[in-house]
Amino acid sequence: MFWKMVAGALRRQKGKHVMIAFTVGLGVSLATAMLGVMFDIGDKVNQELKAYGANLNVIPRGASLLGDKYQLAGDDGGEAAEEVLAANYIREDELYKIKMIFWAYNIVDFSPYLTARVKVGNEEINLVGAWFNKHLSLPTGDEVDTGMASMKSWWKIEGQPVDEAFPDGVMVGRNLAGKLKLAPGSTFEAAAADSGLVKTLTVRSVFSSGGEEDDEIFAPLALAQELAGKPGLVQRVEVSALTTPENDLARKAAQNPDHLSRQEWDTWYCTAYISSIAYQIEEIMPGVRVKPVMRVAESEGTILHKTQLMIVLLTILTLLCSALAISNLVTANIMERSVEIGLMKALGATNLSVSLLVLTEMLIVAFMGGVCGYLAGLGLARFIGLAVFGTSVEVKTVVIPITVLMILAVTLLGSLPSLRSILHLRPTEVLHGR
Amino acid sequence: MSKNSFFLARMLMWSLLRRRSRLLIALLGVTIGATVLFSLVTLCYDIPRQLSREFRSYGANLVFVKAGGVGRMSLAELNQAAALLPAEQLVGLTPLRYESVRNHMLPYTAVGVDFEEARKTSPYWRVEGVWPARSGEMLAGSDVAEKIRLTPGQSLTLDGRNEAQERYDKEFKVTGIVSTGGVEDGFMVISLSDMEEMTGEADRLDLAEASLTSNSAALSEISAQVKARFPGLEARPVTRVASSEETVLSKLTALVYLVSLVVLSLTMICVATTMMTVVLERRREIGLKKALGAENRRVAREFLAEGLILGVLGGFLGSVCGLFLAGAVSASVFGRALTPEPQLAPITIAVSAVVTIVACLAPVRRAVDVEPALVLRGE
Repeated sequence: MFWKMVAGALRRQKGKHVMIAFTVGLGVSLATAMLGVMFDIGDKVNQELKAYGANLNVIPRGASLLGDKYQLAGDDGGEAAEEVLAANYIREDELYKIKMIFWAYNIVDFSPYLTARVKVGNEEINLVGAWFNKHLSLPTGDEVDTGMASMKSWWKIEGQPVDEAFPDGVMVGRNLAGKLKLAPGSTFEAAAADSGLVKTLTVRSVFSSGGEEDDEIFAPLALAQELAGKPGLVQRVEVSALTTPENDLARKAAQNPDHLSRQEWDTWYCTAYISSIAYQIEEIMPGVRVKPVMRVAESEGTILHKTQLMIVLLTILTLLCSALAISNLVTANIMERSVEIGLMKALGATNLSVSLLVLTEMLIVAFMGGVCGYLAGLGLARFIGLAVFGTSVEVKTVVIPITVLMILAVTLLGSLPSLRSILHLRPTEVLHGR
Repeated sequence: MSKNSFFLARMLMWSLLRRRSRLLIALLGVTIGATVLFSLVTLCYDIPRQLSREFRSYGANLVFVKAGGVGRMSLAELNQAAALLPAEQLVGLTPLRYESVRNHMLPYTAVGVDFEEARKTSPYWRVEGVWPARSGEMLAGSDVAEKIRLTPGQSLTLDGRNEAQERYDKEFKVTGIVSTGGVEDGFMVISLSDMEEMTGEADRLDLAEASLTSNSAALSEISAQVKARFPGLEARPVTRVASSEETVLSKLTALVYLVSLVVLSLTMICVATTMMTVVLERRREIGLKKALGAENRRVAREFLAEGLILGVLGGFLGSVCGLFLAGAVSASVFGRALTPEPQLAPITIAVSAVVTIVACLAPVRRAVDVEPALVLRGE
């Protein structure tokens, strides 16, 4: 009987119910899309902010401490030199470990650098060796392609990209190319400043960075190691990692992780703070120091935080708006049916059964609207993601329970004022037409 | 006032007063719609500006140097060129001067800055301890501090020779350790005035960092102007900062615009549906009026006038609420006050009036077409 009445009411008032379902659907689609964007915006913006380049610098532990001592001890040879070498360089074959830390998947790109002094004509120039399109096979079985190209998104490169497949192909800074009259395709001879080793190099491209790199040559790492006489060694590594914005815990940890309590330490270690990623790299590669680039790290935090806050506020606004619209419609609908409800009460229906009937009806309508709205919302989120970031926004599953709860709450709350009026409704009065 | 219009006004007033609760619902709907409209448009107008300020935390995006990057400029020279910078977009301008100094025979680079300005152009400096406030105080780079075991509160003497080969020395108190992950980690940072006093040489600047909220096209423009008017100087945009900002900022702005557009259109639909139900509810009343001899046009006019009043009133209330809402959002997200745009209020009122009237049109037309007898019988 109950379900028959619900079905009857649904059929009879089709137009109004479609309208309610439509509004609920609109509200839900908007909420789904906004919640989807809200949960995903952090990752998306973070990815965009990678345009600012590396946020971690890995340097040998001795580089800053022994920099002066090196001048004294470097030429001695023997054991002391060995020690100094180890303190001032990182071994290239250890770099894969960076991709094996706890937060390995947050390491987007990394590239080592080694500078060799070379002579071209009478000019003494820095030739910087780096990874460009380096393929690594990790002991974990993962395959990784990394290099500096995506870490220097602001560089303007004319010509073919430098690639490990062309061991003598180099990239020349704009200023230097002008001075030496080099263009993509031309060849020149470079002699190592120390050993006098002469190599014939091919210019693959000319780049402009807007910084001091415009006076330098960039080459595959192996070439720079040969010219510098430092086989298998690199001077520093730049790492670009996705990080969680800094907070007080991260700042406290950055000063000294040992001062944290056990629980704080666990939280810190298992969160992708820039300081915890730095700590983990230092842990896995003894003998290096990892310095967060504050300019990038701090700004990332600020901008991420602001954008997220903005989207959260917009989402709340949207949710409130759709909640009010839905509750308006529900109220109007119930008020309109006072005659019908009066009749039911006159025939002996209790307040409880009438309320239950109306609520069930509303929930069914809202649920149907909600399902359509959810599907529409998925599309909307996809569209926003594609239009703005060029990649689709994946709506997380956590959005579903939130939306269901929202539909329930909004429909129930929206029906409350009208339910109250049902309770106070006197059958004689409404049936009389007043 | 003619009899007709007087009657219309009285009917309107009655209908507005009698059905207070339902009208409140409609008014609430319109007001909320207008609030969202007003605050979103205001924010959209303001967000690129605000965000571009946030991006200044990446540091300077324009660097002044002597033409060709060789030699030193004077403060007067810099100030003349800096006058070209748009004042309202200038976040900070820090002149820098580098000197080689020694401490216990070990060489260091000392950089002289204006600490007040440096905090504006390089907000990412992380200082353990406090920023220097008085003459004779300094910050030590974290690498330097680690190397010679400096802690905030210690004192050290810097000495060196100036261009005239005269020896100088001065004692400084370290108030903080600065770490940036960049070159500053290896510097001794002192105030520019201390450096001038210490070396006995004034008015020599190596470079000046400017942080502007302008986009990269505007920066190139400034750079070209400086080149044309002051041939001795060069203003180089920092490509890394400027072009990256352009990429990210344009995406963020697009996101906000798109989301606002979607929210706005859906809000307007919600306002429309609310109005529709409010009108549909009154079919009995329309039937009664028609039975009493009212023409269709007259009934429609009454409803539309009601819609207009609701729209204007809702739009006005919405503009007021929207101003506060936008202000609150701006204050909580960006921590800065919002520049109010009063010209948006009439637009908001007009839009909400149009939306309400349009939303009323369809149901009113349907309602006036009904047979009075049918409606009054309750079918």
